Amino acid sequence: MAVEVGKPAMVVGIDDSEHSFYALQWTLRRFFSVADSAFKLVVVHSKRSPACVVGLAGPGAADVLPFVESDLKKIALLVIERAKDLCSAFPVGDIQYELVEGDPRNALCEAVDKHQAEILVVGSHGYGLLKRVVLGSVSDHCAHHAQCTVMIVKKPKPKH
Amino acid sequence: MDESKEPVATEGREKMTVLVAVDESEGSLYALSWALDNLFAAAVGGAPNKPQPLGRLVLVHAQQPLQHFIMHPVGPAVYATSSVIDSVKKAQEQNSRDVIERAKGICRRRLRPASMVFCTQQVEAEAVIVTGDPKETICQAAEQMQTDLLVVGSRGLSKIRR
Repeated sequence: MAVEVGKPAMVVGIDDSEHSFYALQWTLRRFFSVADSAFKLVVVHSKRSPACVVGLAGPGAADVLPFVESDLKKIALLVIERAKDLCSAFPVGDIQYELVEGDPRNALCEAVDKHQAEILVVGSHGYGLLKRVVLGSVSDHCAHHAQCTVMIVKKPKPKH
Repeated sequence: MDESKEPVATEGREKMTVLVAVDESEGSLYALSWALDNLFAAAVGGAPNKPQPLGRLVLVHAQQPLQHFIMHPVGPAVYATSSVIDSVKKAQEQNSRDVIERAKGICRRRLRPASMVFCTQQVEAEAVIVTGDPKETICQAAEQMQTDLLVVGSRGLSKIRR
C-alpha cells in the first residue's frame, strides 16, 4: 500500500457560498474519486470575526456582538458539517478540516504555508459580494499571493 | 455547460480536458510539466492492469497578430512591403512551431511510462495555435473546446519567493 505520510497537501478554501461548495465537489470528483489519490486534503473555512460584520461604530454595538458571534459560530459549524457530508461520499483517505478565524485571504495563504500545500483550491465568487465581477477578492488575492499553484474553480453558468 | 453532460466514470477518475497555455517563457513550460505530473500521473498503487483514459491535453499557443505597418517614433508611418510582411510572418510561424515542439517534447518525455509495471498513460495530446491577444483568444479556445481546466504559468511572485 502507498505510504500516506509523503503525500503533498491540497488545501480547499470554503465559505458558505454555493460557489465554494461547488469547488469542493469538483475537486473531490476530479482528484479524490479513487481511493489512492496523489494528495491529502485539507478543508479550510475562515470564520469572520463579529467586528468586521457589525462595524465598529454606533451605540449598542457591544450588546449585539455576542449574538453576532454565536450566529457566526453556528454558520461556521454548518459549513464544516456540510463539507464533511460532501467528502464522505468520496473515498478520501487523508482529510483534515480546519476552522480558523480572520480574513480569509490571509487565512488561506497561512494554511498553505502551514501544510506546505502544493495546490490551493478556491471558488471564484464567495466571500465578496461582487456578483458582476468575475473574480472575487479572495480568489484574486490568493492567485497572486499564495506560495503554490492556485486552482480557481468556476461554477458553470446555466445557459438560457 | 451543464454538469449533467459530463460523463461519470463508474470507477477511476473522470476524463478531463485540460488546456495548457504555452509561450516561450519558462514559466509556461514549468506549468505544462506540473500539469503532466499532477493531473495525468498514473495511479500509483492503484490497479496497474487497467489502462484508463486519463484525459485530453490541448496545448494552446497564442501568437500576436501581425502589424502591417511599422511605426517609427519620429516620422511618418512606413508601410512594410509584402516581402517584409511575408518574412516576418514566416519567422513568427516558425517561432510558434518551435514553442509547440518544445511543449510536445515535454509531453512525450513525461508521458512515457517510467517502468513496465505502471499502466500506459493514455492522454490524447493536441496542439492549437491561435492568433490575437492571448488573454481573449485563450479564453475563447477554452470555451470552444469545453475545457475542464485551464493551466497557465505564472511569471513569479515579485516580492515573495518560496
